[in-house]
Amino acid sequence: MPSKRKNSSSSTGALNGFLSADRILFNVAASSKKRMLEELSALLSRHQAPLNRHTVFQVLNERERLGSTGIGNGIALPHGRLNGISEPLAAVLRLRQGLDFDAVDDQPVTFVIGLVVPADATEQHLKILASLAQIFSEAGHRSRILKARDVDSLLNLLA
Amino acid sequence: MKIIILGAGRVGLSTAEILSREDNDVTLVDSDEEKLQGLQDRLDIRTIVGAAAHPGVLEQAGGPDADLVLAVTNHDEVNMAACQVAYSLFRTPKKIARIRSAEYLRHPEIFCDESIPIDVIISPEQVITQRILHLIKYPGALQVVDFAGGKIQLVALKAYYGGPLVGRQLRSIREDLPNVKSRVAAIYRQNQPIIPKGDTVIEPDDEVFFVAGAPDIPIVMGELRSVEKPGRRIMLAGAGNIGGQLARRLEQDHYHVKLIEHGSIRARQAAEQLENTVVLHGDAADEELMLQENIDSMDVFCALTNDDEANILSAMLAKRLGAHRTMALINRSAYVELIESLLDIAISPSQETVGSLLTHVRRGDMVAVHSLRRGAAEAIETIAHGDAASSRVVGRRIDEISLPSGTTFGALMRKDEVIIPHHDTVIEPEDHVILFVIDKRHIHDVERLFQVKVTFV
Repeated sequence: MPSKRKNSSSSTGALNGFLSADRILFNVAASSKKRMLEELSALLSRHQAPLNRHTVFQVLNERERLGSTGIGNGIALPHGRLNGISEPLAAVLRLRQGLDFDAVDDQPVTFVIGLVVPADATEQHLKILASLAQIFSEAGHRSRILKARDVDSLLNLLA
Repeated sequence: MKIIILGAGRVGLSTAEILSREDNDVTLVDSDEEKLQGLQDRLDIRTIVGAAAHPGVLEQAGGPDADLVLAVTNHDEVNMAACQVAYSLFRTPKKIARIRSAEYLRHPEIFCDESIPIDVIISPEQVITQRILHLIKYPGALQVVDFAGGKIQLVALKAYYGGPLVGRQLRSIREDLPNVKSRVAAIYRQNQPIIPKGDTVIEPDDEVFFVAGAPDIPIVMGELRSVEKPGRRIMLAGAGNIGGQLARRLEQDHYHVKLIEHGSIRARQAAEQLENTVVLHGDAADEELMLQENIDSMDVFCALTNDDEANILSAMLAKRLGAHRTMALINRSAYVELIESLLDIAISPSQETVGSLLTHVRRGDMVAVHSLRRGAAEAIETIAHGDAASSRVVGRRIDEISLPSGTTFGALMRKDEVIIPHHDTVIEPEDHVILFVIDKRHIHDVERLFQVKVTFV
């Protein structure tokens, strides 16, 4: 198990070990939910030889169909399970413009964390989602994360 | 949803109309500028003039952003090419195409991502043929639609004096038919919906929608009106796609079928293709011919040509000359309202087709959607996924689930078992839930209710 880098008062570490600087993008222009998920899938499968961005897109898109992962306050957590990876992978998109995402509060989405986990890692999958939900339910953490404007501060806050 | 509709024919237009009213971004493409004129303002959609399968046209229509492409031009080949282009260039997640030719339909294996990437093939003619077959099989039914692959059906009919349940409380049906699983999902009294409860009393002339396992349908219908035996003598007018298919299906089921077609070539072709159907070359509005062919002894007359006016006239004539039940295909909704009282059943091809398309537009895991009462109401079959934590319905008793107003439970399909839910029935994961939505404006709340939460994995 990856250990937390910082104590819980300054950081939450929900994505520790799963998120890296090259999978965080700021100022992403996405004209639709589909394009955003495509962008996210490309980012998640970058440098991950066994992963195909089309497969990742399919998995994320199919999961969205069963229920939006827009959790409110402009945040969405598209996720899915995949064969061919041994560890969970996360990626972050900060969108230039709010995107209609059918979120629980009907607010447009501007901050997206994408997550894919190995097909058999149900427990871990649930745990990561639960800790992300926990972080974003706390107004202080949430606002720090949404206000972060560079890769390092986001890594600090999430990984 | 971002939707591109290719082809502004009947199906394309009515689908664009319905989808644009429901919070979708719709772009309609047709090569004929005239067909698109004025639509942009009237329907709140975008229109593009151009060839449906051309990459540039699809790009201009919003191909890169589209969640769904619906190819319903008049040409199978254009529809196939458009889906291929959308997949290759934009990886469009859902591609639906109308394919008419039986030559293609005989080979479903050609429709896959590796060859012709179409996810769903729709064939309006097949859908309508099936609907009419149900109506012929269940005399007295105004509408019959399938759920759970045909194991459960929803039937609309008018209650009459003589039905044992008429004038009594709904709950008495359980005393009358202790072994039959059925539930009344909605009642319309003088066009006003009533949410049925155990003590609701059925009145004559009520339009009743009930669900039941398919084998039990006639028994339940017998509770609401006196039982009629399905007639065997059927007359069809129009040997087009629907008329031809319907005649073939009916002769397989040993009905006595007469088919009238006014085009001589088409009549001859039909006569060659059909074995036990009597094909007549003539006009269904010709009183003499109709009398000669014993229209007065026909159990059902169906007018199935492409021409609304011809269908209305021949069905009215058939009714006046003594045909027992008359049905007509009518495309224009304005006509349907006008003549409803003059015919027994008006079938709207576009409305029947749109339901099968809505299945793929609705959010959540929809198995079937049927548009009812000219689009005002809807009956849906959706799968309940997740568990008590990730779902708003799974693991809960029926009386703990707050359905949006005007929505009622019909039936559940759990694996192969038909379940009529009572207040203490608990929804299990993967149950197929059949719901009746009286007011379609609440459909979004229904979708929401059945959508899984973020923690569903």
